[in-house]
Amino acid sequence: MAIGMRHSQRTQLWVSLGLYGYLILTLFVPLGVIALWAFYDPAVGWFPPDIVPRSFSLSAWGDVLSDRHILPSALLSFFVSTVVTLLTATLAFPTAWALAQFPFRLKRAVEVFVLAPMIVPGIVVAVSLGEIFFGLGLAGTVQGIILVQTVGTLPLMIRILTATLEGIPNELILAARTLGAPPRVAVMRIALPLAWPGFLAGGLLNFIASFEEFEKSFMVGAPQVQTLAVRLWSYLGGEILVLPTAAAVTFLLLVPMLIIFFIAERLMKEDVMAAGLGKL
Amino acid sequence: MTPVRPTTLLLCLLPGVGYLLVFFGMPLVRVLVNSFSGRGPQTEVFTFTPWITLLTTPVYLDGLRFSVWLAVAPTALSLLIALPLSALMQANETSRRFFGSLYRIPLVVPGIVAAFLVLVMLDRGGMASRILTPLGIALPRLVRDEWGLGAIIASSWKNIPFMTLIISGSMAAINKDVLSAARTLGAGRFTILWRIQLPLAQPGITAAVLLTFISSLGSFVVPNLLGPSYPLPLSVHMYTEGFTKGNWPLVYAMGTLLSIVAVGVLLTYYAIIGSIGQSDAPKRAGA
Repeated sequence: MAIGMRHSQRTQLWVSLGLYGYLILTLFVPLGVIALWAFYDPAVGWFPPDIVPRSFSLSAWGDVLSDRHILPSALLSFFVSTVVTLLTATLAFPTAWALAQFPFRLKRAVEVFVLAPMIVPGIVVAVSLGEIFFGLGLAGTVQGIILVQTVGTLPLMIRILTATLEGIPNELILAARTLGAPPRVAVMRIALPLAWPGFLAGGLLNFIASFEEFEKSFMVGAPQVQTLAVRLWSYLGGEILVLPTAAAVTFLLLVPMLIIFFIAERLMKEDVMAAGLGKL
Repeated sequence: MTPVRPTTLLLCLLPGVGYLLVFFGMPLVRVLVNSFSGRGPQTEVFTFTPWITLLTTPVYLDGLRFSVWLAVAPTALSLLIALPLSALMQANETSRRFFGSLYRIPLVVPGIVAAFLVLVMLDRGGMASRILTPLGIALPRLVRDEWGLGAIIASSWKNIPFMTLIISGSMAAINKDVLSAARTLGAGRFTILWRIQLPLAQPGITAAVLLTFISSLGSFVVPNLLGPSYPLPLSVHMYTEGFTKGNWPLVYAMGTLLSIVAVGVLLTYYAIIGSIGQSDAPKRAGA
């Protein structure tokens, strides 16, 4: 990059300082403090002005493992997020295909409607669905949580898949049709495999969005069914603040997210999220 | 684009759009309709009572103001930090590689964890005060304070990478020849940023600002954990009025009001850029 190279060494240094200073201050230090809280020794305590605990222990982790609610919540979160991701992809593909390939009147209206769940505050839909599901017996059930979370993940998936499918040359589909493939076969054998990067990127983003989702799962599922994020809330927002346990649960929430994040980083060539959201 | 039979089109649109109609459109219409209903067994069919309550009770009006504040302030703060970060990332190829993959981590950090980070860092006895107090610097109250500073910081923390992602994407898409031409003609770095990069990245910047504003407007968990006990944002009022007091018509009036603010902001944006009603397939996402 011509502009970058003409900068003096000094400027480069300041740029790096700015970027990495921000990163250290806002990311590494807070995560490090959480790690200290997860491993400090409650028998000794950790009080101001000590910056580092005087002794360490695994007691918070013992509490987490022996708590009969936390591991089931973690497993539930994995299950819910997997089902939500699969359901979202299945529902989104035909709609994205129509938006990407077919010209039709009211297309702009459909696009705006698909965008709408990202505009209307999630809590509004969450509260309303919470009350409807209560009447239907779906409140406090895993099915209810899956259904409500899909409302949040579907719009982004449709937008990402539409952007991916628009990039597939129409000639490929037409060639398959000319060679005698029925439309369904052309879609299944040509478009579906070519849309694979979109599915992958969108799927990972949806899994993350579902795993970290709080408001909808809380309004529809709690207190009977609690995902890991909702469980963490009960340690932070309850009567007593259980810092060490909360710190340990935070790691249970963060580690899978970070693993998926780095997988996604390696797999995604360009920024799918920017592609899906760069223009409203 | 191939012409298509209406039935095929409808069948294709049905799964996604149909799902959203049932689980998003219907609850939303219900929110609007029920905001005009009475409360209790002898329910009136149509009444303005919830709206009158909402718009005349100081607690709820303060709640509305606080909701808007908790959306405006993080948006402004995030933009203030995301713009320089995006510009710095354009200036340095090597550090962009490594930084570019790490700065996005908060995107995958749950909002509730962001709130927890602010709690352990900035609450009384948190890490920041432990480090700064010996240096003679006293921090103001940042958690459960009346301005919601802790909530604003947590919400910005989560939104800065999102904004940076979209804005730096828009900046990176600017033709490098334009920048070289400007340099050749004698423009300095700040002139280039101000006169070329910012205007050309404007669609991305606006999209990022709108989405940040809207996502912060209805946030529940962050103000619930970090915000003051008064005022409470409408999202928190909605939860307590509904699930603990059962005053659903009032909850739905609040929900309608929040949605109106969000949609109103978006429509204002569309009105300004004058794009609503046109299909802008080539300009849209990714192109």
